Amino acid sequence: MGSETVYALRGVDVSIERNEYIAVMGPSGSGKSTLMNLIGCLDTPTAGEYLLNGQAVQGLEDDELARIRNREIGFVFQTFNLLPRATALHNVELPLIYAGVPAKERSKRAEHALEQTGLADRMDHKPNELSGGQRQRVAIARALVNVPSILLADEPTGNLDSVTSADIMKVFDELHDAGQTIIMVTHELEVSEHAERVITLRDGMVESHDAQREQRPVVEV
Amino acid sequence: MKPLEGIVLALQQVWAHKLKSAFTLLGVVIGVTFLIAVITVVEGMNRYVQDDLAGSIFGVNTVTIVRRNRITTGPESENARRRASRNPQLTIRDVEVVRAAVPDAWLLSFYEDRNLPEVRNKELRRRNVRLIGGSPDHAELQGMPIEFGRGLTELDERRGLRNVIIGAGIVDRLFPDESPLEKDIRLGPHTFRVVGVFERQGGMFGSIRDAAILIPFATYRQNFSRSKNEVDAISIKMRSAEELEDVTLAVEAALRSDRGLRPGEENTFHFETSEELLGAWRSISRILFAAIPALVGVSLVVGGIVIMNIMLLSVAGRIKEIGVRKAIGARRQDILIQFLAESATLSLLGAAIGIMLGIGLGAVVERISPLPAAVPMWAIVVALSVGLFVGVASGIYPAWKAANQDPIVALHSE
Repeated sequence: MGSETVYALRGVDVSIERNEYIAVMGPSGSGKSTLMNLIGCLDTPTAGEYLLNGQAVQGLEDDELARIRNREIGFVFQTFNLLPRATALHNVELPLIYAGVPAKERSKRAEHALEQTGLADRMDHKPNELSGGQRQRVAIARALVNVPSILLADEPTGNLDSVTSADIMKVFDELHDAGQTIIMVTHELEVSEHAERVITLRDGMVESHDAQREQRPVVEV
Repeated sequence: MKPLEGIVLALQQVWAHKLKSAFTLLGVVIGVTFLIAVITVVEGMNRYVQDDLAGSIFGVNTVTIVRRNRITTGPESENARRRASRNPQLTIRDVEVVRAAVPDAWLLSFYEDRNLPEVRNKELRRRNVRLIGGSPDHAELQGMPIEFGRGLTELDERRGLRNVIIGAGIVDRLFPDESPLEKDIRLGPHTFRVVGVFERQGGMFGSIRDAAILIPFATYRQNFSRSKNEVDAISIKMRSAEELEDVTLAVEAALRSDRGLRPGEENTFHFETSEELLGAWRSISRILFAAIPALVGVSLVVGGIVIMNIMLLSVAGRIKEIGVRKAIGARRQDILIQFLAESATLSLLGAAIGIMLGIGLGAVVERISPLPAAVPMWAIVVALSVGLFVGVASGIYPAWKAANQDPIVALHSE
């Protein structure tokens, strides 16, 4: 039918190192989401390669991708995406359940993750009993609980007011100071200023790219 | 993802949507209730027929000679029926032939009976009673013991005395607060003297016997019988079951020879035994057991389709949740197990409710009838297995749909 292949990303060559704090910016349609999906192992590239911790991700089966997401990636979403009927603690335990961690260790680790994000006193609350900022802290705890290589945040403050946003950004800063690699998609300049490095995409290509240090590559696309 | 989490999740869902769940489970509940109730009743009937009924109607080690078969199951050929209807009535002469053929019978009795519209003691009356004219051994052979007073004797028979033994149900009505012994009652135009009372039998068939009135055969013949020497049935009771077959053969030979039947001709009489009744019951219960799967199957198929629909709705409403679960590491099989566990839990819950309702229904039947409600363990096992099967079978498609969601699409759905 004379179809034309449209590439969401073309010739993107990015390398992100351990403990970097990256912001990905760009107008809608620029390929931000596709890059996110690739980095998050929700999708695999049609061509080219993606090395995560030196391991090739392209060509892996769905269930292998699920395992990598479970161990290496911690997702934080704009809309929090917590299970509404489960307590904060249970929400945080969920990745550990899929990792096959025994129940006792699971709750210990989940409690620790909630303490890290400052929610030690809200563990037994359900999402509808929490404020937006608290929900996002639960989501961050869930993302951290499996000690992922990358904390991958997609517009993490998009649904929050400016005061709460600042609080959440402080949480990210602290995590980064503690050694966490963070990749954040955002269109807010204010948010991107927290990052050490900003990658700006336009029409599926990298427009600006201020790499500073050369270390062992964590991600290559 | 452990199935346990799916089960807990399913129970939460059921609890959160009680009314919806009730309708969802209705098909399975009805199917399993019916399954358990029918098995309970049929098993109860089985036990009742084998333990009580066969023995009490026909007696143990007893063979009864009648004009024609009174119990039929299944189609009887037109020829056989016509032939049987030409069989002659049994008579006193047949009694003598049988007596001569079985000189060592433990008990031998014969009787004729009819329904009587009412029996009266002055103003008190009891309607619809069974009047039996029986030989002296009748009560003992039929397993109707005398509670007080005495039984009928040879003297009553020889003289055709108007003495009567009455059932407990008749005492209740005619002699509510006095002893019936030596009192007069009226049977139609005749006055009889009560000399004995039968032990109460109770129960479904017992209540018929509790409304029985026994008078000497000779007296019956004089006052109630239209034909003077006919009998309805002749019964022989032996001390052991082993003797019964020889006795039957001897009686058959004697009656055939007396009636001048040639070899090859059919008998013009019929033997009734408790075995025959049991055989009849067995074929009835076989039909019932054959019908159960079809009836239960229909409601379970409907129940399964309802569960499948609800599960599809549930999957459609939780696409985002599926996306989140996949994003944080759920594999296809994790999602599959979650939804299968949910539908199996739903269905098993329905089966459990059905089992309880079925047992309850059985208990009600036990209350209002003499049938013992026996819920066999295998019926519960079958019901739970069927519940599990329906749950898994109806959950496969929705669970498969859920497991194969693309996580990116699922995450962006609303």
